[in-house]
Amino acid sequence: MRAVAVRLILAAALVAAGAPAALAVPAPASPLVAVELLAETQSIAAGRTFWIALRQAITPGWHTYWMNPGDSGEPPRLEWTLPAGFTAGEIQWPPPERIAAGPAMSYGYSREVVLPIAVTAPPGLAPGGRVTLRGQASWIVCEKMCVPEEAAIALTLPVTATMPALDPRGAPLIAAARRAAPAPSPWPASFVATPERVTFAIAARGLDAQRISEAWFYPARWGAIEHAAPQRWRIDDAGLTLEVARGPLPEAVAGPVEGVLVMSERLDGGVARQAFAVRAEPHAGSGGLSLLRAAALALAGGLVLNLMPCVLPVLSVKALGLVRHASGRRAALRAHGLAYTAGVLASFTLVAGTLIGLRAGGQQLGWGFQLQSPLFVTLLAYVLFVMALSLSGAVVVGARWTGAGQALAARAGYAGSFFTGALATVAATPCTAPFMSAAVGYAATQPWTSALLVFEALGLGLALPYLLLTLVPAWQRLLPAPGSWMVRLEQLLAFPLYASVAWLVWVVSQQAGPAGVAAALAGLVLIGFAGWVYQVSRAAGGRWRRVATAGVVALGVAAVGAAALDSLIDTRATRVAARADGRAWEPFSPQRLAELRAAGRPVFVNVTAAWCLTCLVNERVALRSAAVTDAFARKGVVRLKADWTTRDPAITRVLGSFGRNGVPLYLLYPPGAAAAPTVLPQILSESVVVDATEKI
Amino acid sequence: MSKLRLTRRTFLAGTGAAVLVRGGLLAPTPAGAVVKVGAPAPAFTSTASTGKGVSLADYRGQVVVLEWTNHDCPYVRKHYETGNMQALQKEATGQGVTWLTIISSSPGTQGHVSPRQADELTTTRQASPSAVLLDPTGVVGQMYGATNTPHMYVIDRAGTLVYAGAIDDKPTSRRGDVQGAQNYVRAALQAVAANQPVKTPITRAYGCTVKYP
Repeated sequence: MRAVAVRLILAAALVAAGAPAALAVPAPASPLVAVELLAETQSIAAGRTFWIALRQAITPGWHTYWMNPGDSGEPPRLEWTLPAGFTAGEIQWPPPERIAAGPAMSYGYSREVVLPIAVTAPPGLAPGGRVTLRGQASWIVCEKMCVPEEAAIALTLPVTATMPALDPRGAPLIAAARRAAPAPSPWPASFVATPERVTFAIAARGLDAQRISEAWFYPARWGAIEHAAPQRWRIDDAGLTLEVARGPLPEAVAGPVEGVLVMSERLDGGVARQAFAVRAEPHAGSGGLSLLRAAALALAGGLVLNLMPCVLPVLSVKALGLVRHASGRRAALRAHGLAYTAGVLASFTLVAGTLIGLRAGGQQLGWGFQLQSPLFVTLLAYVLFVMALSLSGAVVVGARWTGAGQALAARAGYAGSFFTGALATVAATPCTAPFMSAAVGYAATQPWTSALLVFEALGLGLALPYLLLTLVPAWQRLLPAPGSWMVRLEQLLAFPLYASVAWLVWVVSQQAGPAGVAAALAGLVLIGFAGWVYQVSRAAGGRWRRVATAGVVALGVAAVGAAALDSLIDTRATRVAARADGRAWEPFSPQRLAELRAAGRPVFVNVTAAWCLTCLVNERVALRSAAVTDAFARKGVVRLKADWTTRDPAITRVLGSFGRNGVPLYLLYPPGAAAAPTVLPQILSESVVVDATEKI
Repeated sequence: MSKLRLTRRTFLAGTGAAVLVRGGLLAPTPAGAVVKVGAPAPAFTSTASTGKGVSLADYRGQVVVLEWTNHDCPYVRKHYETGNMQALQKEATGQGVTWLTIISSSPGTQGHVSPRQADELTTTRQASPSAVLLDPTGVVGQMYGATNTPHMYVIDRAGTLVYAGAIDDKPTSRRGDVQGAQNYVRAALQAVAANQPVKTPITRAYGCTVKYP
């Protein structure tokens, strides 16, 4: 008897604690969705099409689904029993919201949605009567759990002969829903599918990148793209490019991919969501653009590169060299042209090889990938600065890089021409010419042989104008006669280079902040000084000249050192900051995590990296905010920071165990060694972290 | 004394095993988290409702069906309350197929059950899985990219994943739709038995989301 009582009490306690009572997750009160049929007009007329709508009022926290429900769920369904002669169209789906659930993504609606439907009345409908539209609506509504619901729906409307008046309740709701529904896309769209990803190109030329705050492509059907994968997009002169992980169904990308593109545009009064029905055709890369066309585009792109401000000075100076020595030996000229071309092609092979190699390593890179390194950008600025100084006449670096100088007649300096070719390639990196992006985009999706061919075509295009000048004597005669104008032109051509240097320093400021700019500018001053020392020492002789040469080398080394130091400063600054932050954040290790959990402490793990912008933003807006610090303190949460800047394998394993291969990852472990962690979203807000913390 | 020492050593060994298991949880999932149809099905170890450890490797040389479930999900109920799932289980296991029902609902969420409750569900529903695996951390589910309940996978004798997706082609929770639906899992099992390629190897799974932590 007593034992039974104890057992009952125990059972009650267990139920109250909610521990093993999993079978009894309470069923929520149904219906979770209240539905009604709305009409746009107060009456209908014979032969006319009018709008009605199914309105769903959804219990907060729950959601119903879009026409493509995403990775789970199902769209609402309507079955009509209409009077004779009436026809009902398809639902005009307003653009959905994204509802993430673990590794899955659902597309649906919360709180309220109005689903408009066009209905056409038969022509012979007599005025004066009443018509009732009946149907059965069924839907599934989910929160964490899902509940199927259904309801009979009906709407009775009088038939009038006159123009129907608007319904004061239905009309604005239906108008708003129809306004929100996707408009046919005014832009041609295409996509390229690789085994890993699908890249959409929507030729929305003239879009203002500054005004678009968000873009998302909702596919109409499952299978083409990963619904839950992040969509990366950018807007440039060609329009919108959107890249997303490819879905599991191969046939889904064999034909056109349809869906809805939703872009949020910043307006004075707020943000407006605009939806467009898109039908993207398989592009070129997956079949259309042939290798030949891509190579032709690359050749054209390379030709145009010659006119870009970063390359034009290089080519012009080469051409000026020709003017000076147009009377030189033809064979020597030809050899210089070929050496220059070889220099260009060799450099392009190097660039293409690096790109292909990195691609094999799983990275997706495009033209100008080198510019992602502040060190490279700084060094490029130095090179262009030296070239500019030389053009200005501040430094006369012999005949080396202007190539076809005096050395030409001496039949030497082919190495100079070769390196001018390399220099032209280096100078071309920051520039992108028209036609190039299509060709390089194609190369990015092709096997390495085709990719290499496209890059070589690009290089050939770059080298071609000078090569032709050297090969075709008739063209050399078209060159103007030498004169003092050439000096003026050279000096003038220095300025596009100075401009390029200024632009590169700006790029460094974006990448490495004020410290990076300071280092780059200091380096430029050192180079200027080195140039002066070099120039002065030319006039002096013997020992002085040797000392000066050593000085120039030292200054050059110092300049490069300044650029490299910058990255050092950066990491040291981070380290100092980490130490200052140290009381709050302990370094992560699996052992420390296990220890804390065994001790029953709740733990927050911040998997981050110095190069992760989102991580930095999250740390600033959420993790270091007073509200979050308070919440952590109240719950006694221990903060562990897993710094993946240098890809620590232990941290890589943590990421992998949560199906991630990149940062950020935020884990909140409730107290108790066995408790499963909450994976917080990658974009944190104060409230997300505070709410999650309050729940543990 | 020696007995005591032995006990202590056993205890220490036990701790070591626990640490290993925990380390295992943090191990990277093979094939970048989401499995590919046509590729080897990733190995996993989980605990059955009987308390026994179960590894996919235990069934090498057999055809294996993985069924993700959550008994309270309306889509799962559609197939159990019509007897559709049980009939398929009986048919499959009768032909020597191993049927693993996997529950990845995390504690406190819909579908999470204790081992005893899992066995009760098998009895009351007259289901006949080879084993019911409890995966409350969602490790196995996430490894297989299971997003739905029901979410079905078929692994052939060579250990290759040959089907992933829905149970059939009627993505609704309506019981009436079981009749006349084309059952993809049955088709896949027949193809595997006949050494034929599976005609529809990938479909969109439909149902409720898996209640991962």
